[in-house]
Amino acid sequence: MINLKRKTKIIIVYLFTLSGIIIWIGAIFLGPYLKSKGSNVNTLIYAVFSHVCHQIPERCFFIFGYPLTVCARCLGIYTGFFAGATLYPFIKGFSNLSLPKTKNFILLSIPISIDTLGNLFYVWSTSDLLRFITGFIWGIILPFYFIMGLSDWATSKRNIQEKDYDQEFLEISIKKQIE
Amino acid sequence: MSDQRPGMFVPALIGGALAGVLSGIPIVNCLCCLWIIGGAILASYLLCKDSSVSLSAGDGAIVGALAGIIAAVVDTIISIPFEALNSRFFQRIVETLREYAEDMPYDWETWIDKSNIGTTTTMMFLGLLFSVVVFTIFGVLGGIIGISIFGKKISKKSQEVIDVSKDANNR
Repeated sequence: MINLKRKTKIIIVYLFTLSGIIIWIGAIFLGPYLKSKGSNVNTLIYAVFSHVCHQIPERCFFIFGYPLTVCARCLGIYTGFFAGATLYPFIKGFSNLSLPKTKNFILLSIPISIDTLGNLFYVWSTSDLLRFITGFIWGIILPFYFIMGLSDWATSKRNIQEKDYDQEFLEISIKKQIE
Repeated sequence: MSDQRPGMFVPALIGGALAGVLSGIPIVNCLCCLWIIGGAILASYLLCKDSSVSLSAGDGAIVGALAGIIAAVVDTIISIPFEALNSRFFQRIVETLREYAEDMPYDWETWIDKSNIGTTTTMMFLGLLFSVVVFTIFGVLGGIIGISIFGKKISKKSQEVIDVSKDANNR
């Protein structure tokens, strides 16, 4: 019964995350579309995304004749996040709450780190497509943290009880060993 | 059994303030949301450093969310002087344009007045609201990543008990 409740919570967190990223990516494309139609709402959408992206037109993909509301790298991260979230149920399922291994995170962070640092210090200037790809690779692993972290938080009361029980069990068994 | 979890506010304040400053300064802010994620990872690291118990991903999510909120506030405060500088720069451009007013398209002054909306108080508060929501989400993500990297340790208390048991076995 408790496991079922826990699984339901994880599924709710998953659906919340998936719908959130779909709306987020939709808004990225909605900005230039509304601008092309002459709607003033586009200003609001561009303003929202200006808080999370520099929006330099030379580093953005263009659609409907206008730049997207985020740069190519950010678009890569968000679409990678969407891809990872789509794959999540097939890779982790809804009962496993273990976080990804650190070495996997480092491995997927290497391309975006090298590309970003190279561009930042003017060692090279990569194309928008490469920025998108490196962002996409990094973005894939992010939902595995996000969904699991939020699920852990949502089921935290039960986790704390489990932890206390494990701790007590460990201490009792060690004390018995010593005796 | 006593809960030896450290306070989350100080680590969140340090990580959030650093992320907010870096994401508010022009040119440096070209790393977009990565500063917020980085700041939340730092907050998680500081939390793990002070903690004597192993922390969960949920703890990382909370400290990351706090760091994101602080980053949003700091970012808005830091952006004010830069907005003012931009505004002055914008006024100079308008004055220069007025000298060539005859060559400019019809109704260009009205268009410029409408475009210059960045400095109003309402826009600033709306911006802060958006920042808080978005930065909190990125902060949560960074906090969980930080916990997964730095949070793997067992409690000192049980470590001591284990050491004692090893000593007892050695004897």
